[in-house]
Amino acid sequence: MRPDSPKVLFGVAGALMTQIMPEVRTPIAVQTVSLSAALLSMVAQEFDRAASRQVEENRAIRALLSDAHDIVGDLALRGRIKAETADPVEHDLHVSALQLVNDRLRSLLIDVHAAVETTPGGAAATLNDRIWDELKESTRRRHLASGLA
Amino acid sequence: MPAFRVVEAALAKYLTSRIVGSSELTVSNLFRIPGGASRETWMFDATWSEPGHQSSGAFVLRKDPPASLLTTERELEYAFYEAFENSDVPVPRMRWLENGSDDLGAPFFIMDRILGCDSNTTRIQAPEYVPVRDNLAKQMYEILASIHRFDWRGTGIEKVTPVPAPDECWKHELDHWEQVINENELSPQPVIRAGIRWLRANPPPPPDRITVVHADYRVGNFLYTPQGIHGIVDWEMAHLGDPIEDIAWSFMEAWEWTRDGRKGGIIWAEDAIRIYEEATGTRVNREALHWWDVFGSVKGQAIWLTGARSFHDGKTAELIIPFTSYWLINFQDEIMLRALGRGA
Repeated sequence: MRPDSPKVLFGVAGALMTQIMPEVRTPIAVQTVSLSAALLSMVAQEFDRAASRQVEENRAIRALLSDAHDIVGDLALRGRIKAETADPVEHDLHVSALQLVNDRLRSLLIDVHAAVETTPGGAAATLNDRIWDELKESTRRRHLASGLA
Repeated sequence: MPAFRVVEAALAKYLTSRIVGSSELTVSNLFRIPGGASRETWMFDATWSEPGHQSSGAFVLRKDPPASLLTTERELEYAFYEAFENSDVPVPRMRWLENGSDDLGAPFFIMDRILGCDSNTTRIQAPEYVPVRDNLAKQMYEILASIHRFDWRGTGIEKVTPVPAPDECWKHELDHWEQVINENELSPQPVIRAGIRWLRANPPPPPDRITVVHADYRVGNFLYTPQGIHGIVDWEMAHLGDPIEDIAWSFMEAWEWTRDGRKGGIIWAEDAIRIYEEATGTRVNREALHWWDVFGSVKGQAIWLTGARSFHDGKTAELIIPFTSYWLINFQDEIMLRALGRGA
């Protein structure tokens, strides 16, 4: 058993602040060391959750897109929705691969959201609210416990 | 020879060529200060001989980096500083502007250093500032009123920035920053795109008049001591437009350093508005203020995304850039959602 990656990254961040920082003399070097430590802490959090976040988010967006299919009137948009939701299985769980899928889905979500906003009727209004809820949820998924924001 | 010694020598050579009659010029105490996310900021001292006497000066060097959070024009920033010299708005005196890269490897300008001041966002929370913080906050918004009362016609400002029609101010700024996002986003931004749609569907009332807009007016961009504010800096995004843009930007949640709702960590919004209204004799239109508040998230996100792109593409190794990406891109989305009534 070895320490997992986040533990190592947090450890390096701690060493930078407790062992290196007291030796640092210039303001720009102080900033560089403190930024290095902060970035390591942020990356440590992201390392552990990135795949989980993207799988969860891709699933949530696909569900919204599927429900939007019969609400939006634009046939080209419907075609894109159909193509993007046809295969809901994540075949490659590398973070970079999941990110590419996430980018495609969020790009389509932007267009669907714009279409839903201008579509009359209760179903469109309900879906619009659900999209806003998902956008809010997307920020919660990305929130970093850094004490900064 | 250490790199900073090379820069000192290059600066000495440059200043000797610029200060008429100077000789034996030496540059010392060169050091770079943190921040300066759009342009490298260096401090240095210089001493030189002139016929009959010795002279010295303390200076600030603002040098273009390879890449940054912003792509800005140094000539524009220089022109705004120059225009406000000897006005009610305290600014450091501009000395030299160089658009070539022969002297220091990149374009730069040099200005006088205002000595003995603090500038960062946390120092103003220190115990010695507690008794004077209200005065500093009041002065901050009185100076903002002076910026907006400033008669820019006939100054160098007209040569470096367009004059928008009152009903075009919002569109001019939104078009610009949307384009910055288009060019720099590494991933789709559904929250900001929804915000942009809202902004286009709900344009603000036009301003009564076109004023100078500092465009980065906030705690962190002025030089202060317990005695007051001595210099307004970081004019790289300045332009002509709707003055309410500045008020909204100074109120942005990202600058609430004390996280208790006080703007800039020093003043409540309604107090700032009252001070500003008294100083200008005008009323702040709340509908316009809300529009510019939402717009602030578009602009903020455009800045953070530009930095993220620069680091991703290897154009900069400055760690402040990925730090702002990790810290602020998601936070800016949260701020936008709250501004649109869709947040927590």
